[in-house]
Amino acid sequence: MATASISLIREQTERVRPPRALWVPFPLGRPLGIPGDTNFQLDVLRATLGMLSTATEPVIEDYPIEAPDAGPEVWACPLTIEVESDESLAGRLLQEVARLRPWATETRRRRGRTLFGLSGAGPDQVDDVATMLASVAESGNVTDQLTTDIKWAHPMPFLLRHLAEDLRSFYHEAIASQPGDIPPNHDALNKWIFGETVLGEVLLTIGEHLTIAGKTDPKVGIVRNLMIPEGL
Amino acid sequence: MVRLSDLHPNEAEHLRARADAMPELKCEQWLTPRPLAESTVALVSTCGMHRRDDPPFTLGAVDYRMIPRGVDWADIIISHLSTNFDRSGLADDPNVAMPLDRLEDLAANDEIGAVSKWHYTFMGGHPQPQMFEEAGQEVGRHLASDGVDVALLVPI
Repeated sequence: MATASISLIREQTERVRPPRALWVPFPLGRPLGIPGDTNFQLDVLRATLGMLSTATEPVIEDYPIEAPDAGPEVWACPLTIEVESDESLAGRLLQEVARLRPWATETRRRRGRTLFGLSGAGPDQVDDVATMLASVAESGNVTDQLTTDIKWAHPMPFLLRHLAEDLRSFYHEAIASQPGDIPPNHDALNKWIFGETVLGEVLLTIGEHLTIAGKTDPKVGIVRNLMIPEGL
Repeated sequence: MVRLSDLHPNEAEHLRARADAMPELKCEQWLTPRPLAESTVALVSTCGMHRRDDPPFTLGAVDYRMIPRGVDWADIIISHLSTNFDRSGLADDPNVAMPLDRLEDLAANDEIGAVSKWHYTFMGGHPQPQMFEEAGQEVGRHLASDGVDVALLVPI
């Protein structure tokens, strides 16, 4: 059968030379350009599929329209999420989660869905996930399976990566309901989480534990790279 | 935008090295497809998306998951292991990476013949893309059996 493809990394597509590729100048994670913009997405699809009737040899075409960037790079969280500084790490993380919950709930209500649950936790078990992550940060034990009523979908230490992703999804949901504000882009979201939140402090602490444990078991060390984005 | 110069230097170097290691496809037989308005189209994505009760993708995975036409987006989750692509857009609108609703729009408008019954996802980012050959050929056979004329390949 015939293929038509979208390309995000032009250098890779130039190397592979697939039959028909449309290079798009959009961020990684958004190959159709703009979430929620049906007409924009249709235009990208028409440009891609249109190559099926025009190309006669392997070709890369460039999509001419830049998508508006996914929010401002410099972004300040409009929420006040300061927590009591004399609390334990777990206590502070749970306070932060509680402050974000109404906004995340609003986003879930609007969307009718959530990406939370990758770890095996149910959509409402956000506190359980936060408690587990904080307990690992405090204990430094990144290899023993976490005991709880939840049936985890992954073994340790990979479970840590999915617990982290679940909480990140929850934080993104909270931000997505902020009134009158353009949501931050990928880099700004990471800067906020890792620079200004208790969650970031917890994840970076676990990252340090993973780095240390990775010196004797490289597989454990890999999990840090799957949990904390490049450059942090 | 994704230009390597816009990414973190480590990530840009990583993606450039990946490009250097990729083999050329060497298209041996040029296929002229039937008119798009008569073609059944399937989506094949490397976004790591799947249904909630599917097994998640794991480190080094070269297998695939199946997404049925008309899937309930509330049943969808993403277990792709990379931290270096945006998920906030996907959370807001899955069509920004997995444009199943847009294919339905094109079919309703008679711009494509039909939407396939099944679509397929992989977890991209594997350092040795040749490892996907067996699963890729298997997916190709499934698509052919379902009468698919065009596979739309979408990265993440």
